[in-house]
Order: sequence, then C-alpha cells, then structure tokens
Amino acid sequence: MREFARQHPVWSGIAIVVALFVIWAIFAPWPEGFEAIFGRKRVFLNAVFSGITLGALYFLVASGFTLIFGLMHNVNLAHGSLYLLGGYLGYEFAEWTGYWLLSFVLVFIVVGCVGMAMQVLVFRRLEGQELRQTLVTIGISVVAADLMLWAWGGSSYQVMSPDWLRGPMELPLIAGYGRDGELVYLRYPKVRIAILFAAIVIGIGIWMALNRTRIGMIIRAGVDDRDILGAMGIPISRVFLGVFAFGAGLAGIAGVVGGTFQSIAPGEDTRFLMASLVVVIVGGMGSLQGAAIGAVLIGLAEQLGSVYMPTYAVVLTFLIMAAVLAFRPQGLMGRRG
Amino acid sequence: MTTETIKSPAAATSSAGHALELRGVSKLFGALAALSDIDLAIRPGERRAVLGSNGAGKTTLFNCITGDFLPSTGGIRLFGEDVTRFPAQERIRRGLRRTYQISLLFNGLTVRDNVYLACRGVSRGRFSFLRSRADDSLMQAAEDLVAAVHLSDLIDTPVSVLAYGQQRQLEIALALAGAPRLILFDEPAAGLSPTERKDLVEILTGLPAHIGYVIIEHDMDVALRVAERVTMMHNGRIFKEGLPEEIENDPEVQALYLGDGHE
Amino acid sequence: MSSNTPPNQTLANPQAPRWWLWLVDRVAAIPAHAWAVMLVLLVMPLVADDFFLFQIFGWTFILGIVALSLMFLAGYGGMVSLIQMSVAGLAGYMVALFGDSGTTISLGLPWWFVVPLAMVIATLFGSLVGLLAVRTEGIYTIMITLAMASAFYYFTRQNYTIFNGYTGFNLVLPPDLFGVNWREPVPFYYLTLVAAGLCFLLVTYVSRAPFGLALQGVRDNPRRMAALGFNVTAHRVAAYAFASALASVGGILLVWQNAQIAPGTAGIHATFDILIIAVIGGLSRPSGPFLGAFLFVLLSTFAPDVLRAIGASGERYKMLIGGIFLFVVFVSPDGLLGLWERWKAHLTRDDMARGKGETRP
Repeated sequence: MREFARQHPVWSGIAIVVALFVIWAIFAPWPEGFEAIFGRKRVFLNAVFSGITLGALYFLVASGFTLIFGLMHNVNLAHGSLYLLGGYLGYEFAEWTGYWLLSFVLVFIVVGCVGMAMQVLVFRRLEGQELRQTLVTIGISVVAADLMLWAWGGSSYQVMSPDWLRGPMELPLIAGYGRDGELVYLRYPKVRIAILFAAIVIGIGIWMALNRTRIGMIIRAGVDDRDILGAMGIPISRVFLGVFAFGAGLAGIAGVVGGTFQSIAPGEDTRFLMASLVVVIVGGMGSLQGAAIGAVLIGLAEQLGSVYMPTYAVVLTFLIMAAVLAFRPQGLMGRRG
Repeated sequence: MTTETIKSPAAATSSAGHALELRGVSKLFGALAALSDIDLAIRPGERRAVLGSNGAGKTTLFNCITGDFLPSTGGIRLFGEDVTRFPAQERIRRGLRRTYQISLLFNGLTVRDNVYLACRGVSRGRFSFLRSRADDSLMQAAEDLVAAVHLSDLIDTPVSVLAYGQQRQLEIALALAGAPRLILFDEPAAGLSPTERKDLVEILTGLPAHIGYVIIEHDMDVALRVAERVTMMHNGRIFKEGLPEEIENDPEVQALYLGDGHE
Repeated sequence: MSSNTPPNQTLANPQAPRWWLWLVDRVAAIPAHAWAVMLVLLVMPLVADDFFLFQIFGWTFILGIVALSLMFLAGYGGMVSLIQMSVAGLAGYMVALFGDSGTTISLGLPWWFVVPLAMVIATLFGSLVGLLAVRTEGIYTIMITLAMASAFYYFTRQNYTIFNGYTGFNLVLPPDLFGVNWREPVPFYYLTLVAAGLCFLLVTYVSRAPFGLALQGVRDNPRRMAALGFNVTAHRVAAYAFASALASVGGILLVWQNAQIAPGTAGIHATFDILIIAVIGGLSRPSGPFLGAFLFVLLSTFAPDVLRAIGASGERYKMLIGGIFLFVVFVSPDGLLGLWERWKAHLTRDDMARGKGETRP
C-alpha cells in the first residue's frame, strides 16, 4: 500500500478523496440539493448495504471457486450447481431438523462430499487436461440442473431464518430527517447483517488458515507453483481433494445463505456461476483477497446499478470486467502476468 | 545504449564487415552471471561452432543475440547495425534466424505448411483471407526448402507423426525460410541417430556459401566437421577460440571439456 | 477436407483462365462421400415432410452454423469461445430491432439495410469480446467468454429500451424476397441449406488460406509464431471477427425460423448447447458441428417421445443430452468424427492415417 502511494501519488490522492466522499455520503445527513440529484439517502444507503451483503454472498461462492482454480487450474463450471444443491439441501435440512444453523453443518458435509466425488471420479481421471476437465464440468452442470429440477420442481424455495434473526435492526447511520426534523436512522434486516458478519468471519478464517497453518502454506505454495508440491514430497492428490471438498462445501453453505436472504430456484445456479466467474476475473485468479475485493465491487455495482440505472445495471458489471481485462488481465490481485 | 568501454584486441580491430559482433556482452540473472564480458565476431558466411559444457552460457548467448533476452551490459551489432535494443522481430527482418533445442513446430500442420508459415512470417500478406497458392512463390520457396532438408517425401505429412530426427530437420528448414544471412543452431544433433547425424552434417555443409551460422553442439565430431572456427565457452566466458584442429588438440580444452566426456 | 493438390495436376485444359483451373481442381478434390451428402441434401424436399424440412433440418443448419463459428475458433485457433451464441443472439435482436416486428420499438427499416447492419454490429461485439478474451490464454478464454455471455443474457433480460426485456420481440419475419414466403418449409430448407453450405465452404477455404494457416500456427505454438514475425494477438482477434460474422448469419436465420427472439434464445443453456454440439460433433473439422447439430436436434425433438415410450419421464431429455456429452468428452477428445476416424484407422491399421485424414494422395 505504502509502496503504491509512493509510486502513484496522483492516483492515491484521487483514491483518498473518493474514499472520504463515500464515508461522508454514508455517515452524514445529505444536504437538500444533493438529494435532488441522487434521490433519497435511504435508497442510496440501502443499495450500498444490499451491495455489500450481496458481495458477502458472492464472496462465499467465489472463494471456493478461486481456490480450486488457483490450485488445480480447473474451471469448475458446475460450481453454480453446488450452490443450488446447497440451497435445496439447506431447505430440506432446516425443515427436517428445525435448526437453521445445523443445516449449515450438514450442507457443508454433504456438498463437500459431492465435491470430493467429483474430484475422484472426474478430475483425477483427466489429470492435466484442463480443457476436458472444464468441458466435463459443463456436462455435469447440465445434468445436475435437470436432476434438481426433477427432485425439487420449478418453484422457488425460501429457507426460513430463525426467530432471533427476523425483523430489522436500527443501524447508527443517518438515513435522513424525519417530518419533525429529527434524525432518522437506517433500519436493515438482521439476517443480512448476520450474513455480512458470517462472510467476514469465514473470509478471515480462510485467510488465517492459508497464512498461519502448514496446510495453508502448502496450498499457497501450490497456487504459486504446482510443481513445487511434488518436489517437496507432499501428496498432491490429497491436498487437491481437501481443497475441492472445502470449496464445494463453501458453495453449498453459500446456497443456504442465498436461500435465506433471497430464494432458491432453477436458474440460480447459472446466476451464481456467472457471479463467481466475474468476481474471480475481476479479483484475480486464485487470490482470496482478490475474490473479496471483486465480490464487494460486483455486489455494489449490481445494487447501485439497479437503483440508479435499472435497465443498464449489468452493463456496469460488464464494464468493470472489461476494464480489468483491458488494463490488468491477471485481475486486480492476480499475480500471473 | 550502454556499450562497455572495455574492448578486447579482437573486438577492437573489427569494425564494419562483420555479420555479427558482440562487445563486452554480459547477462546477469540476479547475482548469477550467465554471461560475462563476451566478445565475439563472425564474418559473413562464416561457420562457427560454440562448444562448452552444460551451463557454460551457450543458449543464453543465443537468446541475447536473437533478442529473447536483453543483455545486462554490452552491445550487439548485426551486419554493421547496432541491434542491442531491437526486438526479436526486427532482428529477424535483418536476416537472423535460429533453431531451438526443443522442437517448437506446429504439430497440427503438415511439413509444407510449417515451412510455408515460416516463409510467410517474413513477407507481406500475413492476414490474407484469400488463397493464391497455385501461383504462390512462397509455396514454391517452401517446397524448395523442404527439399533442401531432405523431407520432400513427407511434405504432406502432419508434423505430429514425424520421427524426432525428421522434426529436427524440419526445424532447420524453418530457420532457412526467407533469405537468412546468419543462423543460430541450438544443438541440432542432440538425440539424433548416427545416420541422422550424417544427414545433418550434409545439410549444414550443403547450405549456400553466403549463409553463415553459429552452431552449439555437444557432439565434437559434428561440430568440428561443420565449423570453420571454434569458440570454447566456460562458466559464461569465452575460454578459447581457434581452428577446429587447434581446439581439438589444445591440452587445456581436452582437460576441461573432452576429458569429462559429453554432458 | 484438404489436400494440397499441386497446380500442374489439374484435369482441365491448361489454356483456361487460372480461376477456372483452380475451381476444377477444387471440385475434382471433393471426395465421393461429400458428393453423396450434397446430393441427398439437395433432393431432401422430395422425401422429407414439412416438419423435417423446417424443424429438423432448418434448425440443424442454423445451430450448425453457430457451432461452426465455435469450431473455427476452437479447432483452428485453440480458443474455446462461449460467446458465439450471444453474438448470434445479438444479430437476431438487431434484425428485430431495426426491421419489423410485433413490438413498437422496432424501427421498420428495409431488410437489405437491416441484415448487413445486424451482421456488422454482431461482428463488432464479437470482436470486442475477442479483444478482451485474447488478453489471456487457454482455460481463461472459457471463463471470460462465459462471463461475457452471461452478462449479455442478463442484460437482454433486464433492458427494455433495446432488447424489450423478458418479452423480447415477436413476429420477426424474413422479407418476402422474389415473392417467396421464406418461412414456408421448402424455401426455408433451401435458404438454411445454402447459408450453411456457404459457411462450410468459407471455413474450409479460409482454413487453407494464409490467414487460416497462420491461425493454426498460433494455436500450435504462439511463441514460435511471434518469433517468425507474426502478430499473434491480431490473428486471434481477426479470428474472433471472422467467427462472429459466421455466428451472426446463424442468429439471423434463427430469429426468422422462430419468428421471435427473447433472452432465452441466447441464454446460458443455449450457450452450453452450442458447445455441446461442437464437441459432440468434433472440433477438428468443419463437418463436425453440423453432425453434432443434427444429433442434438434429433435428440431434443424425439428423445422426449422415446423416453416416454420406455416408461421414463419425457422431460429428462436434457439429462440424456448431458450424459451423451459427458460420454463423448470422456472417450473421445475429438468428438464423434474423431471416434469414426479412429474406428476407420483401426480397420485399415494404417499407421500414417492415425490422427488426421490428411494423407489422401
């Protein structure tokens, strides 16, 4: 960071100004003229918060995707299917056990096992043939989508959140002035705050695991240079299996999260597959921090876009992706030149 | 350009008239000097062999000459022109060619098309969607080159099914495309059978007189038969230079290189 | 489909103009089974009913053209692009937007202006995506083009000013050229047959032209091509442009066949379908995509009935197609054509014919 500031003083200056403006826009009540241009502050704040929450969800999906990609060079295009499967299973488990939190554990285990099965039955047989591996994942996603349509039909499901997460909570953020001139604070659904915190905790957890544990070191070394693992005498296949299971499990958990604060239906698999792709392209292939930055960026772009330019919101996402590819093809945090 | 002021006697006497001239070329990889202070001068049409054990810096030398690496210090002149900072393509336009240690061929294409592409690369019309092959002089040139490396019988064979030795021969044809004046051969005989080596020597000695080349070769027999002069490298430096028989009989060279065998 | 017949082996009178010699040469080089296929396709309307002509063959040719554009990029350029269906979809949308449709946002311009315009816009879009996609290599191409294709799909769904959102456009009809209703089965059959035939010939021809050869060189060894003095990036982008022009032809025919276009036309599933078609047929030569398309159309048309007949649920045909795709990817990287080649090679035990059929005398 300091290095960057020294090398690009102008860009750093602009970044600081933009950051200060955003902080002001979030915390201070807006002057009248401002609201005339940008609409009500509550709308803006809601969009920002929804964007960040959506970014948290995208991060959960994309972090597994990016780890798998970085380590195994496998573009798992069935990742969206794992998300959707996680959502459906989460619904079933929550209905069956009655415990929302327990469904996370169960989904993580089951979808993680599905991921392991994919790794063993498919990817290990096509070792080193990246294109064919990717083609196979497309086939799997087509078959899986049809199987899930068979099992759960075309209607949409909502995972019920527990009582203690229902309803809104008031945030110490000024949304605007009330009728009598008093300050009105932003109210925001509790469950979304919980999701945001959970994503942050999981993100930090993965980061710690990658940076502070031996297995994390191995995985990071493998992302940098796969051959190094073999040279160090580490059983690569077991590391691959573990990472694949973990990434798949994360996608499954994300499915439960998505099913709680949005809903689960056929077609969500491709939506979250696209989100993962874009997040990883923008953030950098194989980079966890990149996935976090990319996820928040895309989440914000989608939500702000849908508020301020409803029929062109996707163009914003597209432009971010195009700009990154044009100026930094390896992604914002990617290292591959 | 940052030409070093240190000049060896050999380099100082040479001015124009050289096909290739290196002065004080060094290449550092971090703290490791792959090349240090290389002076080399090749006359037009001269055939030179570069010998040396693995890690002596021979391939790095080639990479500096072709422009794949920029030298850390020193200057390179090609046919009298300073090309030290030129990109690889500009050097190709000036008649420099090279072959690679590992075959870098187009495996999905036929022998003919491989050579044709090499001819195309240095000509115009690379983007043409139209085919004018019947009267295409480049196609004729490609066929002649295929004949020159003794592969005419296999001209319509996909490269992927060629034997290793045949791929090496094709590699030479690619380097001969488009009026080369100086070719760098990187171990063309590596992995060849004795008969194939004979064939290779024939191809090399049969090249037109105006084409000079520098050849890296482990096989002394091949090197001494195809070269007029020999340069010995050791640890990134030029160690000896002379006629083939001088080098062959030099006791120091024998101790250093021939003594511990090939590889 | 290629042989480098030397010019002096021509069958024709050597006094004839050069293009004529060339043509005679080419025609003479067409193998017997290709003549047979051509003949069968030309007389097909005598035997096939309207449903087959319009629904089976018309759709086969259209999907085949779009898959052919993917085959060109993947087979000759080594770039597996998933944007082709979006390019086709965009061309269809542009025909609907600038021409006539049942929607008020259509501009109603004449067809001779609309069709080239649609092709140009779609080609520009495809080239732009190509320009971004070639910044990276290999497996990244799939990721990037799929992300772009998804973005295109969600954009068409969300945007009402250009793409008319969920509804899309209906009543998009081909022009009444020469007083023929081109949506009648027989005219439509010949229209798509000619378009597919021209696209096929064009790809075959370009694959042997300097550009096509250079593209194959880039596929095999980009580094060496750069060392030979070729601009690798420019060749790749040009390949995207060429393939996009092909795909746009398919897209325009598709919107005429369906008489409507909606986001689903170029959705993720349609994108995957094109890849499935090209891979099942075989990515190494231009006939593969048409073979794959024929199989795909037959399966998606008749599989539901067949499945029901054997007591399974007719809705599961997607699974069947996915399963066949998985099978082909697992057993043959070169699709059904590759399987066929290997089987032939197995029969003749000819070592030189292993791999490609390039060794015709």
